[in-house]
Amino acid sequence: MTFETVLAQARAEGRTLLNEVEAKDVLRDAGVPVTATTLATSREAAQAQAEAAGYPVVLKVVSPDIAHKSDAGGVKLNLNSRDEVAAAYDAILANCSAAVPGAKIAGVAVQHMAPQGTEVIVGMTTDPQFGPVMMFGLGGIMVEVLKDVSFRLVPLEDRDAAQMIDEIKGRPILSGVRGQPASDVGALKSAILKVAKFVEAHPEVRELDLNPVFAYPDGAIAVDARIVVSEA
Amino acid sequence: MAVPGHRLDRMFNPRTVAVIGDKGPGYMWLHNNMPFKQKGGTLYSVQLDEKEIPGIEALGVQNFRSMADIPEPIDYAVVAVPRQVSPYVLKDLIANKSNGAGFFTSGFAETGEELGIKLQDQLVGMAKEANFNLVGPNCMGLYLPKVGVRFSGDAPVTDDGRIGFLSQSGTHGIMFSLVANANGLHVSRCASFGNAVVLDVSDYIDYLMQDDETEVIGMYVEGARNGRKFFETLREACRRKPVVVWKGGQTDAGARATMSHTGSLAAPQAIWEGMMRQCGAITTNNLDETIDVMKALLMAKPPKGNGMALLAQTGGQSVSITDAFAKAGFRVPRFSEGTYKELGEFFNIVGGSFQNPLDMAGTIQGSDETLDRILRIVEADPNIDAMALELSAMFAARQWKKHPESLDKTLDTIGAHSAASGKTIVAILHPAHEAEYVAQVQPKFYERGIPVFPSSERAAAALQRVLGAGAQ
Repeated sequence: MTFETVLAQARAEGRTLLNEVEAKDVLRDAGVPVTATTLATSREAAQAQAEAAGYPVVLKVVSPDIAHKSDAGGVKLNLNSRDEVAAAYDAILANCSAAVPGAKIAGVAVQHMAPQGTEVIVGMTTDPQFGPVMMFGLGGIMVEVLKDVSFRLVPLEDRDAAQMIDEIKGRPILSGVRGQPASDVGALKSAILKVAKFVEAHPEVRELDLNPVFAYPDGAIAVDARIVVSEA
Repeated sequence: MAVPGHRLDRMFNPRTVAVIGDKGPGYMWLHNNMPFKQKGGTLYSVQLDEKEIPGIEALGVQNFRSMADIPEPIDYAVVAVPRQVSPYVLKDLIANKSNGAGFFTSGFAETGEELGIKLQDQLVGMAKEANFNLVGPNCMGLYLPKVGVRFSGDAPVTDDGRIGFLSQSGTHGIMFSLVANANGLHVSRCASFGNAVVLDVSDYIDYLMQDDETEVIGMYVEGARNGRKFFETLREACRRKPVVVWKGGQTDAGARATMSHTGSLAAPQAIWEGMMRQCGAITTNNLDETIDVMKALLMAKPPKGNGMALLAQTGGQSVSITDAFAKAGFRVPRFSEGTYKELGEFFNIVGGSFQNPLDMAGTIQGSDETLDRILRIVEADPNIDAMALELSAMFAARQWKKHPESLDKTLDTIGAHSAASGKTIVAILHPAHEAEYVAQVQPKFYERGIPVFPSSERAAAALQRVLGAGAQ
């Protein structure tokens, strides 16, 4: 689906938040590496999509009313069979309805569970003074507690993306510490630049999170994505 | 040199200046601008209050009761009238084909009052329509030392200024100019621009980056009216010359709704810092850091790398100077074997070490020839990019006071190296118990182009900022 199609649909439904499946679709179109993700609206569809994606899989609730999916019991990881997928599908619907009564649930996103990599966050927000701004940081506690992130204004030059990565305090982690492999910094740089190009091309995008992105010794992939667009 | 054709060019190089609405008994603005008249500029006064006119004429300044009577276009005007009158004055200035005016007049939007906001809107509307260069309002206006236009009676009249400075605050603009001068650094052009409702900081940057006399741009800013234009202008300016930005205040963008993790992490200050790095600007947090980095930029050769040679007088100093530079991110490498061999020929090991840092008082024993020899050897060392030389007022002030020529000779030696060497040389002179004396001898350093800092930490921080900017 093109960005324009997704945008039109979201606006028709009065939404400013693109769901994970939509966000990943438009980002993949823009050349940003994301895990292939499909939307299942029935238990059987979830099972079929899981078979197609290849085990292990992850199921996540898709709902405009649920911002924190894990907190609502809307995420099930490491599912390895049709039965586990069916049970997870049912559990997610039950958990989410209980946690956020009346929540509108569009379905469940199904994706292959990417192997764990070094977690980073790539994001964008719209600053009232400077307009679109890119952000990079290490995921997990580095971002939650230490707010170890860097910013640059869109548009970005190659050098800007490299500096964003280099200036975070946790930078040595990407070079590999304590026996951990080094991360593919080139792939991260490329992801930052592609997202920057994407938001530059689509001024309707107000905010964007790729959180987390898994960085590997060879390559990187966004396993979750969220896009907020401006009101029509 | 001017920037021909630039919309601010006439006001930044005025030949005719008018002071509008100055009042006795002090006649502050006329006094501030007397050097302009003394240097051959045409200075007029506009004042219709009969009881003020004799005092103005006693200063030898021609007064007109109305702007309309002035027989020629004014390049720059200082407006010090009550706020209610300011729209009428602006109308006259536009009719006169004046190029620009600094509105010292205050009481506008900064008060939050309805009348102040209304009057400011009126000024903005008129100025924009006429393409008039309104500086301020609520500001101290321009300081152009070469032609003698001043925003303070204490501001020096110098003709060799190399720093262009911009300030949202009048106090910081004046303070910077005075403190810079006391540190041997002169201003080429300074603008205190207050509310910045017509000309914003970006407009002044655009002039200073093209002005040949301005080698370095500095600014005190709290924010920019047009963030995007500021970013683009600043980035272009940084490509042309070093730009030092002292950001005051915490940007308050107000609470805003965010649905993303990124949005919740995007503190205005963090975005500002990222933007500064993206432009390649040198950032500072206060006046002293701003002065220090200007001194390093203008008096020292730019460091080509971060390998420091540290030349101290005693053991204790050797340790503290090393701590300061290491903490600021410099390397203090071993010298090359050749250097150790040459130093070993004469270095007095008893009570002195010649690793790096050098602990050299025991070897120098007051001999400038020996100091010269040490500097020559260390300067040639391939591991070394820059040298910091600590002098000690605690030990030497008594000797320097008794024999002032001994300080002169030492400074001549350092100055000669500083001028001839391709490497960075900075001096550190802590005032110790001799603050008054040390302040008195500072000019001796600056006359010889030696950047001197009051502590190792300040020297290290200034050099690190210059190095960081060079790496962009």
